Amino acid sequence: MDKTLTDITSKQYKEGFVTDVEQEYVPKGLSEQIIRQISAIKQEPQWLLEFRLDAFRKWQKMTPPTWGHLHLPEIDFQDIIYYAAPKKDSERPKEIDPALQETFDKLGIPISEREVLAGVKSKVAVDAVFDSVSVTTTFRKTLAEKGIIFCSFSEAVRDYPELVHKYLASVVPAGDNFYAALNSAVFSDGSFCYIPKGVKCPMDLSSYFRINASGTGQFERTLIVADEGSQVSYMEGCTAPMRDEHQLHAAVVEIVVEAGADVRYSTVQNWYPGDDQGRGGILNLVTKRGICKGEGSHLSWTQVETGSAITWKYPSTILRGDNSSSEFYSVALTNNYQQADTGTKMVHLGRNTRSRIISKGISAGHSQNSYRGLVRMNSGAAGARNYSQCDSLLIGSLCGAHTFPVIKNDCPGAIVEHEATTSKISEDQLFYLNQRGIPPEEAVGLIVNGYAKEVLQRLPMEFAVEAQKLLSVSLEGSIG
Amino acid sequence: MDKIFVIGRDAVPERVALGAEESLRATFVFPSGADSSLDLAVDLTGPGAELDLAGIFAGAGEETVDIRLRVRHLAGGCTSNQLFRGIADGRSRVRFDGLVYVAPDAQKTVAHQSCNTLLLNEGARVETDPQLEIYADDVVCSHGAAIGYLSADELFYMRSRGIPEEEARRLQILSFLSPVLSRLPESYYSLIGFQR
Repeated sequence: MDKTLTDITSKQYKEGFVTDVEQEYVPKGLSEQIIRQISAIKQEPQWLLEFRLDAFRKWQKMTPPTWGHLHLPEIDFQDIIYYAAPKKDSERPKEIDPALQETFDKLGIPISEREVLAGVKSKVAVDAVFDSVSVTTTFRKTLAEKGIIFCSFSEAVRDYPELVHKYLASVVPAGDNFYAALNSAVFSDGSFCYIPKGVKCPMDLSSYFRINASGTGQFERTLIVADEGSQVSYMEGCTAPMRDEHQLHAAVVEIVVEAGADVRYSTVQNWYPGDDQGRGGILNLVTKRGICKGEGSHLSWTQVETGSAITWKYPSTILRGDNSSSEFYSVALTNNYQQADTGTKMVHLGRNTRSRIISKGISAGHSQNSYRGLVRMNSGAAGARNYSQCDSLLIGSLCGAHTFPVIKNDCPGAIVEHEATTSKISEDQLFYLNQRGIPPEEAVGLIVNGYAKEVLQRLPMEFAVEAQKLLSVSLEGSIG
Repeated sequence: MDKIFVIGRDAVPERVALGAEESLRATFVFPSGADSSLDLAVDLTGPGAELDLAGIFAGAGEETVDIRLRVRHLAGGCTSNQLFRGIADGRSRVRFDGLVYVAPDAQKTVAHQSCNTLLLNEGARVETDPQLEIYADDVVCSHGAAIGYLSADELFYMRSRGIPEEEARRLQILSFLSPVLSRLPESYYSLIGFQR
């Protein structure tokens, strides 16, 4: 059995190629000068520059958090290039560089509308971000007919400054934490999405993040605003080339959900996880937070985490509106020397607010996988209810699985429940499947997929298929 | 060894080590009306060691109940169980911080932890911080934590059958606490505000 597990968990990272395009950079390092330069390249208004500089000053006074169950390599923030963008071809300014087109084709991301309309790819509007810039955003016209704004963050700053100004940092303040402050100072691009009152978004929206340039970090910012009674399903995907160095990815995602609106946010995270000796890989240090602002609003997070050398990520919801609800469904898989410290925070402020947390951790190889959560019932949260369940599955005797769920209750009318279990794939289960002619590798894949099913079925169709494959691939060679 | 400790009255050890085949069964009573705290670390150092801890508390006034447990499985084949039940009423503060650690190679470990609290008044606060740190794969570990209030349906059921409200509430609380209460002789009930 040990051998099979080793075989299963050692598959290759197929998105690890590098695209050869000419890129422009800002000089290495971080200073007010660099921030001014990034802001100037992007031709930003004065208020945004002030916002960046203010965040930078806050960041300088902060220290990196150390409470995670992680061995984080020391990051030299002066050794990172904070802005890298593929050069625009001056002869064809309107078109996408064929090399980039090819890159996204290879990754299976539909950035040309033709294919989608022909029914080759599913109907999804994509904002494709390559290093520090958004390459293209598809279906903007179709969406605009309904009043939906879906574009890159830079365009949003240019075309809808009032909206951006109103909502930027309203959920994650600039000085929220070390990495959020860093992001606020140097963020380059990302996606912006606004769904007007009562509009149901006719297609799934999606952001795809690709790190390509070496020695850079990616600092994107996503802002989603769902106005009263609107509905949207949003997906996020990411990959990076294979390199021996660590690369930093410090993103911020903010979601504002107004009364009666419904937002589903799904992530399939497949950053380069490092090699089987633990060299290289992305350091994924991300702040994601949403606020259920109005009565009856709903926000659901679904994440499948298979990549990154280090994951530090806690998609959270502030349930402020009465009767609002939120869910967090997560599968986190770690293999080789990967480390993950991920979970969620549910802060209940409003009456009759509901939340549900389902987290499935899978550790293999030498990896460490932690669930860390906070459920907080404030004194006004009468009738609020939370249920959390986090399960860990261990594959092999060298990995670790940990759970740190904090629950705080200040309200006698609120109920919080938490359950956690840790177990391994039993010999009996494997034997049962083997005996029916299913080879051990497939059997482990089946068991893992069955274990994660509750979460996978929450993903949009396209993503679910992808995620299932990813789970089996990431596990290859882990049985050991 | 089977022992009952009343916090504040009995001397409570801070560190305990259980060797091969040793066992300890202990029940902690946190008396109402005074601040009480427990800070206990138990190491299971030999195979076959068994640990069975339970605790009961009923904060009624201004008191603070502070429970800190560290159970470390350093050898394989050991069993540990933690069972805590309590009430937070009045303006009491309850904090439960419990760690289960399973060392690498401590295979065939069975560890369970459960801490449930009833929050009965607006001024009261409960915080539970259970932690599982597991470095071995052939283990069965679970923990459960809940903070809630008395079910209105149950109350209605009893009242509709002629049981006065106060008595009905008492029964509810009693049944909630019973898994731990049943480990105590009745003479201890008054410590946590129950008369027979």
